[in-house]
Amino acid sequence: MLRDGPLREDLMPEVLPPEDLPPRGAPRDAARGEIDRHEARAAWLLSLPTLVLMLLLLVLPCAALVALSLTDAELGVPEMHFLGLDAYLNLLTDRDFIRSFRNTAVYVGLVTPASVVLGLVLALLIEAGTDLRAFFRSVFFLPVVALTVAMASVWQYLMHPSFGPINLMLKLVGLPSVNWLGSSDIVLPALALIGIWQAVGFNMVLFLAGLAGINRDLYAAAEMDGARSAWSRFWTVTWPMLGPTTLFVVTITVINAVKVFETVATLTQGGPAKSSDVLLWTIYQEGFVYLHVGTASAMAVVFIVVLMALLLVQTRILERKVHYT
Amino acid sequence: MKTSLKRLLAPLALLLAAGLSTFGATAAEITVHYPMPGFFKTVMDQIAAEYMRQHPDVKITFTSPSPTYEDGLQLMLRQAGTAEMPDVSFIGLNRLRVLAERNIGIDLTPFIKADAKIAEEGFSDRLLALARFNGKQMGLAFATSNPIFYYNADLVKKAGGDPDHPPKTWDEVFALAAKINALGDGVTGMAYRWQGDDWMFSALLFGHGGTMLSADEKKVAFDGPEGLASLKLIDRMVKDGKMPALTSDATVQGFTAGKIGMFFWTTGALRSIINGTGSKFELRTAPMPVIDAAKGRLPTGGNAAVMFTTDPAKQKAVYEFLKFASGPFGASVVVPGTGYVPNNDLAAKDDRYLGKFYQENPLFRAGLNQMNLMIPWYSFPGNNGVKVTQTIVDNLAQLVEQKTTPEETLKSMTAEVQKLLPR
Repeated sequence: MLRDGPLREDLMPEVLPPEDLPPRGAPRDAARGEIDRHEARAAWLLSLPTLVLMLLLLVLPCAALVALSLTDAELGVPEMHFLGLDAYLNLLTDRDFIRSFRNTAVYVGLVTPASVVLGLVLALLIEAGTDLRAFFRSVFFLPVVALTVAMASVWQYLMHPSFGPINLMLKLVGLPSVNWLGSSDIVLPALALIGIWQAVGFNMVLFLAGLAGINRDLYAAAEMDGARSAWSRFWTVTWPMLGPTTLFVVTITVINAVKVFETVATLTQGGPAKSSDVLLWTIYQEGFVYLHVGTASAMAVVFIVVLMALLLVQTRILERKVHYT
Repeated sequence: MKTSLKRLLAPLALLLAAGLSTFGATAAEITVHYPMPGFFKTVMDQIAAEYMRQHPDVKITFTSPSPTYEDGLQLMLRQAGTAEMPDVSFIGLNRLRVLAERNIGIDLTPFIKADAKIAEEGFSDRLLALARFNGKQMGLAFATSNPIFYYNADLVKKAGGDPDHPPKTWDEVFALAAKINALGDGVTGMAYRWQGDDWMFSALLFGHGGTMLSADEKKVAFDGPEGLASLKLIDRMVKDGKMPALTSDATVQGFTAGKIGMFFWTTGALRSIINGTGSKFELRTAPMPVIDAAKGRLPTGGNAAVMFTTDPAKQKAVYEFLKFASGPFGASVVVPGTGYVPNNDLAAKDDRYLGKFYQENPLFRAGLNQMNLMIPWYSFPGNNGVKVTQTIVDNLAQLVEQKTTPEETLKSMTAEVQKLLPR
């Protein structure tokens, strides 16, 4: 970036291009150094607005968050005390926080594999089909563009224990009705079901893009080499070539699943008895309802660290295994 | 030259005149904040319009409302002491204590002491006490509610009950619930709104004459016989009444869909339940089943109008507005619009306000008839005051799911709440 020709010529026309400089020796090096300094200054100048914005909007709030997390700050209470690492040690023994951590992990564990596999299957089916491809693409993509809170109330109706269509259908085929959102054993899988429904469409579109990028010649080559069945074509060409896409899809799905909030806030409020408490909901309750800003900040820091760790693991370790070029 | 100067000065003079005249007419501009616009927007607009009609020298402006009581409280805590702080806000009765303990909001005691007419304007001491904490008058109760008994007259009739004589005790409720349960077709006998907050639990506890904490507020007091009896009632709702473990929303939807026979919740929800029911079935209301006729009390829900302005010149005008909003006119707008009971003794009796309304709308009378039983919605002390309520709800959830017995619930609830109290 710094050494790009156009940048240099457009912004510093007074500086001579290198080929017009004296042929060799000290003067040339001095001029080169001069150019480098100019370039560096221009580069800093150009990135200044972004840097300032980043500082104001990202770095400072994060620093404030970390600072608050080390205290027992409370909204409306003027004095606060420094707790230091105790703030984090308290979290380790906070049963509710651990529970919400575990619930979030279970939720992610349910949503990610299901929505990735289903997204891939849908993409393959649509890709293989000839008619109505655009139609199916839009239909399955609808949940992604729909407003989550609005869709949550639809799910609330669908899952109503006594008159919800899902239970009425179960009854038709002779199955017992399920207390989807009111039972502490079922509520998390029920929320995961909604999460899967939401994520599948998005994953499908990503996989469709990935599929479109696979070179057709590879299939012809594979067929020559004896990959005749659909399965072996998938296993030897499609799946390996989709590697980068799959990595991206998994990453996005995990992040979105860890961030689950709207469905919990609108449908269960973490209940019954905290069985659907998830991290963001716990942080929200702690900070905005119980007014414990310090504790909520510590939880938020843990939340961010977990997300960053997941991202690092996925990009650094897995990236090595999915590129073939 | 002369004309151009005149041309220049004319608008200036006009501007000056306009400025002077508005200054002369408007003695005060009061900024008002309120929560839950879905409930209160129309009500607030009506009150402000009427107040400005009666007091042309006062201008009332609204800041953008907060979606919930929690959001409203947070906003006031954040803006306390800043220039953006509104002069008035409406704070949930169970959150007033948070303000009192943090010294935010103006104590109205001096204003009330100086006000000779306060009692004859319908503000009885019982009503004032709803918003009083440690001797601080944190506000004037604006919209108040108590729990009532909603029932589906069609289901009651079908089950062989008499809708004109609804159950008066919990035993009668459970007997009727069993009959309604026997109807089948996905119909449930009863539901009790134990979810969301500790309010409906306190209805049972206060109904037995119990209290949440000891008088010095250092120890849990619901761990005695009243608390156990309250939890046993909830246990019987599940065992005898076949109350399913539903979410709060699912319960209300089930009742308004005609799938639940009897339902116990705040009268504040009356208007929305009337609207939700439509003509699907005949909705009736009754007072809460009586537990202890002598000692029994009921909690008060709702919110209070709180003064925040620290400007002494403005405070007088704000106090007058608070009284107007929580007075008979305010009540005559709030009650029909929501189902809350009048927070003012005058409004209920006087035909100019609500006397006639109550004659014509019997559904609204259940809450009215219980007004003499209303005591403050207890709010817990200390910085975990709000968290305590969730702890109680979580324990109730396990009881309703029958994962714990009433005795076990009482034990864990007591221990957990005690831990959250200030030491």
